[in-house]
Amino acid sequence: MINPINIGSIDDIDEGEAKVIPSDETGTGEDIAVFHAEDGNFYALNDNCTHETASLADGWIEGTEVECPIHAAKFCLKKGTALCMPATQDARTHKVEVSGNDLLLYPNVPAEPVEA
Amino acid sequence: MALASVVIAGGGMAGFTAAKSLRAKGFAGKLTIVDPEGIPYDRPPLSKDYLLGHRDAEQIQLIDAGWFADQDIEVIESKVVDLDPEAPAVTLADGTVLHADKVVLATGGTARRLPIPGGQLPTVLELRTKQDADHLRQVLQPGIRLAIIGAGLIGAEVASSALSFGASVTLIDPVDPPLVPAVGEVLARRLHQMHVANGVKLVTGIPTEISVDASGQHAITLADGSSILADVVLVGIGIVADTALAAASGLDTDNGILVDESQRTSHPNVYAIGDTARTRLSDGTLLRRAEHWEHAMNTGETVAAALLEAQLPTHGASWFWSDRHGVHVEGVGSMLGDGTLVTRELDGIPVAAFRVTDEGLLAGCAAIDGGLLVRAARRIIDKNKPVNVEQLADPTIDLKKLAR
Repeated sequence: MINPINIGSIDDIDEGEAKVIPSDETGTGEDIAVFHAEDGNFYALNDNCTHETASLADGWIEGTEVECPIHAAKFCLKKGTALCMPATQDARTHKVEVSGNDLLLYPNVPAEPVEA
Repeated sequence: MALASVVIAGGGMAGFTAAKSLRAKGFAGKLTIVDPEGIPYDRPPLSKDYLLGHRDAEQIQLIDAGWFADQDIEVIESKVVDLDPEAPAVTLADGTVLHADKVVLATGGTARRLPIPGGQLPTVLELRTKQDADHLRQVLQPGIRLAIIGAGLIGAEVASSALSFGASVTLIDPVDPPLVPAVGEVLARRLHQMHVANGVKLVTGIPTEISVDASGQHAITLADGSSILADVVLVGIGIVADTALAAASGLDTDNGILVDESQRTSHPNVYAIGDTARTRLSDGTLLRRAEHWEHAMNTGETVAAALLEAQLPTHGASWFWSDRHGVHVEGVGSMLGDGTLVTRELDGIPVAAFRVTDEGLLAGCAAIDGGLLVRAARRIIDKNKPVNVEQLADPTIDLKKLAR
């Protein structure tokens, strides 16, 4: 059983914004971006774009997608799917849970399958 | 009869996207890409990461080589030398004839050569292919004198990359500053000055002749009579669309292969996409031929929809990017035309520029290290949202909020 990390209050990330949890906290060797999507839910992906080096947390969040701030590759926040070029590799998802007012991140636990 | 086979001549961004989109949209027929360079790769890194050796040939492939077999797409490393629109069929360099229901031309173009004495010298280099980048990397030794003619995107990017090889770089362009049509005067000037700040020598002038002596030293003569000596000369002044194949088979061409809004050429069996295609609207108006990465991708998606008789995708304002001297430049829409030019400054340094039409609509935006701002601007343009000039100029206003 992997223990979640409490990454703060749900009020810390406005809808349409994201926050980076640095690799020394995630323990996965990778920074993780936690997104507050426009469907009101929270999602987490590895922060670095799968195409080149760029922080997806700095990207454009629209609906349940994020667009990379450098070359405009888009990813599905729910499943990590690479939705357009130049990315061809999916982003890794991590489970996020809301517990009361707290956001819990489960590094390396894939997000549960979500109904599309 | 349902579409059973497609041959795509050219495996750059456009040809690759066409193949990928056809499969994504459920096309299960025979799909072939013919390209002299084989497995499709991405060209933008050729002047940056690939040239610098930060990414190798495999790392700039548009997708893993194995993907093509998985998707049942045959990639033939050859060149299409003849096209028969009526059959329809293409002939490859070795004489093989491939028949297909539809042919897609994604043949791109070749680097434009300078129409001056010495412009055709084989030692005057260009940067269009992986092989060109490999050659350039080899000759960029510390202390070498590199003269680049053309300070547009490729010229500026190579100038920046070449500095890290220890080359002594001179960048020559007829205008000062270049790139005004792409990013507006204010940002163009800031970008051009960055070359100087990083140690590139800028020369404004028109080359009239290039010569090379027995030792390999080049002399570039300018219209004012001055001359520049260089060990290596690179020319980056755009491309010439590859229309020869289309023209020889009777298709309409005019500085590009003419296509309608579904990318169909003047022959119903043949389509053209990417750098080589030029849109002719139904009223006969010719659009400017686009040579950007995203245009290649967009037209690849459009042709896939057209071939499958699906609804054509809509594409918003055009977009480009450039990376040099550690900054990321982006532009969307058009900075050229009537209206008001607005500059946004941060601590006295221009970071973004906008063009606003007399009707109060945003027509173009460019920014330095402002990817999110450009994404916001793009949505404002595409949604035709009215803008306020004071807000655009105010660095405390988050454009993202204006785009919602």
